[in-house]
Amino acid sequence: MSAARAFRFDYDRALSTTAAWALALVWFAPLIYAVWTAFHPTEFSTRFVLTAPLTLENFAAAWNAAPFARYFLNTVLLVTSILIGQFVLCTLAAFAFARFEFRGRDTVFVLVLLQLLVMPDILIVENYRTMRFLGLVDTILAIGLPYMASGFGIFLLRQTFKTIPKELDDAARVEGAGFFTILMKVYVPLAKPTYLAYGLVSVSHHWNNFLWPLIITNSVETRPVTVGLSVFASTDQGIDWAVITAATLMTSGPLLIAFLLFQRQFVQSFMRAGIK
Amino acid sequence: MHFTKKLGIGAVAAAMSLSLAGTAQAVDLQFFFPVAVGGKAADTIEALTSEYAAANPDVKIDAVYAGSYQNTVTKALTAARGGQPPQLSVILSVDMFTLIEEEAIVAFDDLIKTDEDKAWLKAFYPAFMENSQTGGKTYGIPFQRSTPVMYWNKEAFKKAGLDPNTPPATWKELVEFGKKLTVKDASGNVTQWGVRIPSSGFPYWLFQGLTTENDVILANSDGNKTNFADPKVIEALQYLVDLSAKHKVMAPGIIEWGATPKAFFEGESAIMWTSTGNLTNVRDNAPFEFGVAMLPANKRRGAPTGGGNFYIFKDSTDAQKAASLDFIKWITAPKQAAKWSIATGYVAPRADAWETAEMKAYVADFPPALVARNQLEYAVAELSTYQNQRITSIFNDGLEAAITGKSSPEEAMNDAQQKADKILKDYR
Repeated sequence: MSAARAFRFDYDRALSTTAAWALALVWFAPLIYAVWTAFHPTEFSTRFVLTAPLTLENFAAAWNAAPFARYFLNTVLLVTSILIGQFVLCTLAAFAFARFEFRGRDTVFVLVLLQLLVMPDILIVENYRTMRFLGLVDTILAIGLPYMASGFGIFLLRQTFKTIPKELDDAARVEGAGFFTILMKVYVPLAKPTYLAYGLVSVSHHWNNFLWPLIITNSVETRPVTVGLSVFASTDQGIDWAVITAATLMTSGPLLIAFLLFQRQFVQSFMRAGIK
Repeated sequence: MHFTKKLGIGAVAAAMSLSLAGTAQAVDLQFFFPVAVGGKAADTIEALTSEYAAANPDVKIDAVYAGSYQNTVTKALTAARGGQPPQLSVILSVDMFTLIEEEAIVAFDDLIKTDEDKAWLKAFYPAFMENSQTGGKTYGIPFQRSTPVMYWNKEAFKKAGLDPNTPPATWKELVEFGKKLTVKDASGNVTQWGVRIPSSGFPYWLFQGLTTENDVILANSDGNKTNFADPKVIEALQYLVDLSAKHKVMAPGIIEWGATPKAFFEGESAIMWTSTGNLTNVRDNAPFEFGVAMLPANKRRGAPTGGGNFYIFKDSTDAQKAASLDFIKWITAPKQAAKWSIATGYVAPRADAWETAEMKAYVADFPPALVARNQLEYAVAELSTYQNQRITSIFNDGLEAAITGKSSPEEAMNDAQQKADKILKDYR
């Protein structure tokens, strides 16, 4: 009987392991293909010969096709400035929504939530007008500004702040702490997993954003990597998969490496923050 | 104006714009260009604009790479609606009606004054001008224009016992040759298809080759009426469907556009239809001798044109418009047009460009470059209407439904016509 139970246990486990592997493979297949193609000469893009010669030429070709060094710098500046802006604005707004009573609070909060329902692409023209009014067209700030007051970030942090026991808040107040001290010493530290998870979502989203940066910027000094990557999407001429996969690996590389390094923290904070 | 332009060097930029304002009558032009043919073309555009700037120190041109054709029109229209359009841009010729409807562009007739300019306007190939004019006015100047042609693998022709120097000239021959060229292995799997007419993304373009050959025009020149349900259109679609369903000379289902040249190089298909924009690519990469021919004829020869035109935007000063016109005149002049054509494979849009020494040398060295130009005689305007994006996507959906066998060609086309009528009736 114990043997039977052990067998059933194994069966169950085998099933989930297989499923996990299958899903992982499906997710991983494009990446494997990209790695294969990027490191081999073009002739081997669709032919899998184990002895095919390895090469780094595709990366060299991709790197030289656009000023990627500058684009990387721009992207890093962009995602960092957005992240800082989002953390500051969303924290303050979420704190107000979570812990203060004021007239019209729920109405305002509903308005913030409505932002989640609007596709950002619809607002492109309006955003462009605003940026032009501010004289910011063709700046890195203009790419990030529309995203800084993020409805999603406010919602997420508000929910997290609400779960923090009021007693901690009260205890701090008894000790004589002001609102800002309470926020910084009590709420923010306890919401760290949420910040981490939200930060990851934000960074990967803005790292990959393409249309708005393309529209609002004109010069090499302001454009992010995704715009550089689009040089290769030349359907008129036939696609050179070797170079395009090399460029894709190159541009998504930093994110992939960061994810692998901090994998454990990310997964844990996702579990805690409830973003799945 | 842009006081924070380029983070970190705001002060420098401000100082520069002050000093620029000091020089008398300097004209700033912003020029959006799409690149549909990879990085090399972008370099050529930048080389040409800086050459122009060197010869005209009072004009400053900021050439802005704007992504694909779709991205470029989005970017230009967003900027125009946002009140800060570029002065000029290269945008698909089929987007003309959209740009007119948005009141974003001006007609060239309003800018042109001298007889010399009028003569310049007349020297473009009429086939290219069809997509650039409506209501008696010219809105676009042909620049990066193309047309589909047929490429064939001479070695595969030899192996199939066909004359390697005679491509199929009619629909019937395309099927006959295709049958000989379709090769199966011992287990009955096809290792080489006879024909490849890609149908992903924008199937309407190559399909328009077939409709033109069947002597029918898909849309009127006012851009407000389509002709999708015409029996001749349905017949052309039936032919396309039959190539794979009945004659089995073409792979079934939707055929990928971007992977087509590669399939041709690897011998997966002996004949392919694709843009002349691929000419340089095929020349560099085909590991066998190949030929280039006009699309085969049925009732007549025919093909659509394609590619991008220059447009001048409304919301700029008169000095900027005049400078834009001058730049366009310069870049489409024979010498520059020849340079552009040789670098990219696009068809030089004027007869006199083909008379330059550079072009003659190029054609003598590589005669296939002439095929596209000669085909212009039979070419018609690419499908273009008001609400162009919506109409072409309706038409594309119809074509895909027929190609994948979801509906019969007749049903698919009648359905597409009905939907198009619903949208276009407001423009009649």
